Formats: sequence, structure tokens, C-alpha cells
Amino acid sequence: MSFRKRNVGVAQPGDQAAGRVKSEGIQQPGLRPSPVDGRLTTSTGTRSLDALLAGHAGLALGTSLLVEESGTTDFGGALLRYYAAEGVVQGHNVHVLGIGEAWGRDLPGLSGGESATNKEERKNPEERMKIAWRYERLGEFGGSRDRSISQSSGASSSSQTQSIFCHDFDLSKRLILPSSAKMHFVPTSLRPSLDFTDAEAASAPFIRFLTHLSTQLSSSPSSIHRVIIPTLLSPALYSSDASKPENVLQFLHALRALLRKYPAQLTAMITLPLTLYPRTTGLTRWMELLSDGVLELAPFPSTAIAVKAAPGASTVHEEPPQGMLKIHRLPVFHEKGGGGGESSGFGDDLAFTLSRRKGLVIKPFSLPPVEGDSEAQQGALEGDHGKATKADIDF
Amino acid sequence: MSSASVSSRIPPLLDPYLALPPEASLVLLTSVLGASSNWLVLRFLHRALLGPDASSNASADGDTKVLLVSFMRDLAFWKENARRLGLDLDKLAAKKRFAFVDGLSGLFLPKQRALSGRGGEKILNSSDLTALYGELQQAIQSLGDAGRVLLVVDQLDLVLATGGDRVDAVGLGEMLLGLREHVHATVLTLSADSPLVSVQQTPLETDHAAFLLGMAHQADLIMSLRLLDSGTARDVSGVVRITAGNQTGEMDQGTQQRVEEKELLYFVGGDGGVKVFERGQ
Repeated sequence: MSFRKRNVGVAQPGDQAAGRVKSEGIQQPGLRPSPVDGRLTTSTGTRSLDALLAGHAGLALGTSLLVEESGTTDFGGALLRYYAAEGVVQGHNVHVLGIGEAWGRDLPGLSGGESATNKEERKNPEERMKIAWRYERLGEFGGSRDRSISQSSGASSSSQTQSIFCHDFDLSKRLILPSSAKMHFVPTSLRPSLDFTDAEAASAPFIRFLTHLSTQLSSSPSSIHRVIIPTLLSPALYSSDASKPENVLQFLHALRALLRKYPAQLTAMITLPLTLYPRTTGLTRWMELLSDGVLELAPFPSTAIAVKAAPGASTVHEEPPQGMLKIHRLPVFHEKGGGGGESSGFGDDLAFTLSRRKGLVIKPFSLPPVEGDSEAQQGALEGDHGKATKADIDF
Repeated sequence: MSSASVSSRIPPLLDPYLALPPEASLVLLTSVLGASSNWLVLRFLHRALLGPDASSNASADGDTKVLLVSFMRDLAFWKENARRLGLDLDKLAAKKRFAFVDGLSGLFLPKQRALSGRGGEKILNSSDLTALYGELQQAIQSLGDAGRVLLVVDQLDLVLATGGDRVDAVGLGEMLLGLREHVHATVLTLSADSPLVSVQQTPLETDHAAFLLGMAHQADLIMSLRLLDSGTARDVSGVVRITAGNQTGEMDQGTQQRVEEKELLYFVGGDGGVKVFERGQ
């Protein structure tokens, strides 16, 4: 119960800030203008993913993200949970297709450290002012290579009530959904319709979801909505009819139409199991073309993680990567032609690590020092562990 | 990228290819995931509507007009990016020199209320080929009889991919041929990703490949965009390969117009300005 109270406390400064900075164009909690072109963005709930999106420092409203994953792991599902949890905490409407409400009860909770620091921030704003506000903002942007140009204006005046853009979540906790949480679960029908009706009925699961979305969007013109579609076309959730190219592509096209029709209200995140729908097929390519951003998660085999954990922990004080992340397309950036965004991770070798407290952290992938290269690494990397590391990464 | 001056709106190296194509010709632009053809389409619009031969002194022909049909993007996107090029699509629409057909907003959304486009905009709500042909023909006629109409169709392959059994490559090709009879020239953009073209196992893939290859054979000029083969670079967005189509039949009447085949690199800046340069420059 005490946790819930804190939750309310977190949401409130957002509302206050929204009231204060209305003149600057921010109406809703959890939104902020992009440093690149000022369009409104919202957080994916994963700081390092926000930082990757072509310098916008968030997912631009009116765009979608397709997260593909190969193998049997569910890192993409973790990304979706953070995205959903961030939406719940910010008071956004969250629409989930295909999965029951049990999924919604499993969202990661706010980590204690976050609200503690938040409290501290509110307690003594004078002390906070001693730190140069510039660097402070950088911290909130997520560290690495972010710019905080447009935000900095007026940040010094309203910093004590600044709304939090991206919260920290703890996977070991469960988010207690506030009673005001606006989560909607739209089921898909597993059984293919056996009655001989017209083609419209065949894609009924998608049609129902689209109708639900458009009524929700048109009924409340100022609310922010997040669409979550876990493991699209997985046979566990969808009937075989749904995976006919015309049905799923029409659905994605319609979703794209909705995103463009409500460019200040809606974002979407979709995960797709690549093992079932490989990237070499035309269907997957069309799904990618219809999405604004395309990310591919390629987890390392689980044996590699176990072996790698030992040298990683002993030599460097950070966790070893659990897989590679490839960026195939970024929202807004590639629609224009692709270029001019130095801070996009496009083309870089990126690795990700999922940890309990930090969530999913994406950072540039670096090979461990080569064995026998210099005497510096000899101490730590000479054993079997070093060899194993090298072999794993040599692909 | 601050050098988005007037000169860089139309990259000089591309200028000869962007000029209004000769009558009855087809220009094919192909794109892949990560190398979209939007910037090139915008340059075609700019050249046709504002270029040196746009409001022609040969007034017998009248002005050049553009009908843009887009199946993946809405008018807001095109307006915003055209404005960066100094192209006011609203104003041109009011002058009846530009019209837009929206193939995104209403095509597959369940209908709630009648969608009606504003001035100069038409929203498609059926992907049936006959209906599509009727709507597009009407849109061409709405631009008036005088002047040459450039038809720009963005991602017509979407109709094929979402059409299922109802739409096949031959039918779509015939529809386009029918439309081409009513316009001066046509610019068509299609996806040419290798999964869509090379494997050809599912009907989706075979249809796409058949349509793309058919169009490539009909085209008089092909500009294909792709990513750098050697990985990504900070100052290069992609490669544009320019290929002349099969023009043997018309060789005798315009030999000097023979297209020079080239492969160039391009870079799209954050502000929408485009630089096009040769390899090694």
C-alpha cells in the first residue's frame, strides 16, 4: 500500500510541471519535445533505447517500433513490459492486443532508488541548484550521447518540479496498477472462423482491435495512447487466418494510418518472433516496411552467457552482453532518407544486457582485449574463460 | 549540413534526370528498407512544379501539373517536407496544379464516418482495382485538360501485397497502363528489397517480383536506391544507381536524350538537404 502512495507522488510533479510549462507546448506528462526538431516524443521506458532513436531522445509520437527477436528468449517482451509500465506510470492509455490481463499484472515496478532520489530532489531544491543545471539535465536524458538543447531553456526555473520522462523499473518488483490505470486488453480469437462469411470477418481479430483503437482515440482527443502487440502472429495467440499476408499487412497499414491520423497521441510497439517469420521472407519485409522503426535482437546462445559471466564479472565491473542489437530502420530518420543524425546508432555494433535493476541496457559492443596482445590483460584473461569469450564473439 | 541553400535543393548531378520526362515515359524509383525514395520523389515534385520548365514559355502546353498518389504516407508528411524545399503544396493545390490522393488514411481502417478530404485531397477507401482506377482517373481529370500531368505513384506495390487473391501483378500492371494513357508521364516508386525479389516462394514474393520486373522492363529510366554495400558511413546515406530503360524503339528520334548511366552516392542531411556526389569525391 505504501508503494501505491509513492506512485501517486511520482505522478503528481508531472501534472504540476505540465501545468507550469503549458506555455512551452507540453500538455501531457511523459512527453517532451525532441532536441532535433521539436516534435513531441515519449519514452519507451528503456533509457538506452530512447537514446538510440536518431537523436530524438524518445519515441516520436505518431510512430511505431517493430522489435524482432530470434530464438526462444523474450528480451523483446521485456522491452514491451517497460514500455507498458512507463505508460501506466505516466497515466497514458495502454492497449494490448492478444494477451490477457495477467500480463498486465506482471509489469515491472518502480525501483525504490528512483522515488527516493525523487523525494530528495523535491525536498531540497536549493541544494540541487548548486549543480550546474546543464549536467543535471544530461543525467536525466540517459547519459551517453544526448543533447539537451531545446529543453534547457527554462529548465533552471522549473527544474524542481520537472516531470520525469523515463522512470527506473525493477524487474523483481511488480507494478501495482493504480485504480486509475487505463489498460485495455483486446483478445484475439484463436479459432479460425469456420462459417462461410465474407472476407471482412476473416480478419475479425484485427478489425475489432482497430475499431477499439479508433473509438478510444476519437473519444478523448487529448489523451496519450500506447499500443502494445506482443509476438505478432505467434500461433499461440493468433489463428492461421491472421497470418495470411493480406490480413496482417492490411492491419499494419491501418495501424500506420491511425498513427498518422493522430500524430500527437499514439505510439506503438510490436514484437515479432523471427524464428517463425524469418527476415528473408517477403512477408516479414513488408511488416518492416510498414513500421517506422525496426530493431532486431539477436541473443547469444544461453551457454555463452553462463561461460561469459565469469570473466566479465572478474575483470570488468559490468555485466557481459547477452546479445546483439541491430538497427534496421529508425523512426523519422529513415523516412526522410537517412543521414545527418550523428547520434543514431545505425550501423554500429550494439549489444544489450538485461539486468534486474537497470533494465535493458544497450551500449556499443566492444570485443574484450585479445589474448596475448599485451601484458595488461594477461592476469585476468589468460585462463579458459578468456578463450571461451573470444570464441563466442568470433562469428 | 548547414549548406541547405537553394542550390542544394536539387543536386546538380541529378538535375538532368529529374527533368520532366518525355511524353508517355515511365520513371521507376526503387527503394529498400533504410534507403527510402521519399527525398527523390520530392525532388521530382520540385522540379516539375517549380523547375525551369515548369511554367513553360511554350504556353501551348500549359503548366506542368502533378498528381501524387501515396499509399504509405499522408499529405502532412509530403507537405512538411516539400515546405523545406520551398514548395507550398497548398498553394499549388489551390491553383489546380497539384492534387493528392491519400491511399493510407482510409484504405483499410474500418469506416466510422465518411472520410472526406479537404481541398485538393482525395482519400481512397477501397483497394479494389476497378474502384482504384476510377478514383485515380477522376483525380487526373480534376486537374483540368490544359497542361501536362505528371502522375507520381508512391508504393503502388502495397496494393499488391495487401490485395491477397484479388489483386495480381498483371491486373495491377494493366491498371497502371490504363492510367498512363491519361497523363503526360509517370513516376512510380516500388520496394526492391531482396527478400521480396530473389527468393520467390510465396505468392506475395512471386507477385511482387513479377510486378517489379515488369515495371523495370517498361521503364525508360530507373533510379534504384540502396544502402552502401560496404556498411554504413557517417557522411553517406546510400547509393543511387541510374539505369536507362529499354529505349531501342525510340533511339532514332532522340539520340541526344540517351540517358547516361551512373552510380552516385547521396547524403540526406538532418534538415532535408541532399548532397549527391561521385565515389571518391
